[in-house]
Amino acid sequence: MDSLIIEATEDSPKIMFDIISNRFIVSGESRPENAGKFYTPVINWIVKFEETLYSRKQESKGDSPLVFVFKLDYFNSTSAKYIMDILLIIKKFVEQDYKINIEWHYDKRDDDMLDAGNEFSDTVDLQFDFIDY
Amino acid sequence: MNQVSTAFEVYQFMSEKNILIAFTGHFDHLVTTSLLKNIKNKLTALQSVTGIDKRVYNILVESIENISKYASKRSHNHNIAMLLLCKSDDHFTVITGNHILNNDVPALKEKLDKVSKLNNLELKKMYREQLISKRTDENSAGLGIIDIAIKSDNQIKYDFKPLTEQTSFYLFQTEIKIKK
Repeated sequence: MDSLIIEATEDSPKIMFDIISNRFIVSGESRPENAGKFYTPVINWIVKFEETLYSRKQESKGDSPLVFVFKLDYFNSTSAKYIMDILLIIKKFVEQDYKINIEWHYDKRDDDMLDAGNEFSDTVDLQFDFIDY
Repeated sequence: MNQVSTAFEVYQFMSEKNILIAFTGHFDHLVTTSLLKNIKNKLTALQSVTGIDKRVYNILVESIENISKYASKRSHNHNIAMLLLCKSDDHFTVITGNHILNNDVPALKEKLDKVSKLNNLELKKMYREQLISKRTDENSAGLGIIDIAIKSDNQIKYDFKPLTEQTSFYLFQTEIKIKK
């Protein structure tokens, strides 16, 4: 399976899911005209990545944790639903004992982005590492 | 006809009311994107340690998206809308206006009445319920309004001005306090 890289646009975030470094990064601004069209391939990719996680585990290569990094300047409420979908898949992985960390990066002036991270973390019941910049 | 004096009145009005942005016209994704870019630059210039520029930007985007969600698709004016951004000493005001079918008014008004009565804890509970609920058009539209209400400490106001037998003009206003 190849890494997934989608460059940022004015209204959609950069996706950088690097299967070598194991850092899966979503960064930038998210208010795509058609959020479903943007996020569906991303979500499908993550779902399919479970096979890679499984085979890594069989070969005992699954020691280094997978890190999901959310570093968003802004996301609209439609995107929020898709971020939730991604977190629910991560939750499934965690429940199958795959090692996963979640980093939530936020501008230190932006209390709302910190609140949003806390809200997601509580709702999906997963621990986030909060990192300001 | 001489429009010079009218233009001067518009200028005076905009200065008095501290209007940073006034736009009326056809709203689509491209227009929205270029408007937002312009607004983001203006807000960044006002950049504050409190991050108010980010909050105002959030509410602006959500308000503009609210226009297209509720705009009456069946009226030929359905994409004609208005956006105002004003700044006074202690708050920003975001106002949108757009055409809506009278038939759609009661359901929207009911939703707005409900949201505007909630306190912050109740709003957050409602936001969470919508976040995990199945995706439907009605739900996602609701999420935007709830988000605006949370971020503005529920300083939302709205009105429906009758235009024709079939349509009204839907005005939606949010006030965002500038923390000192």
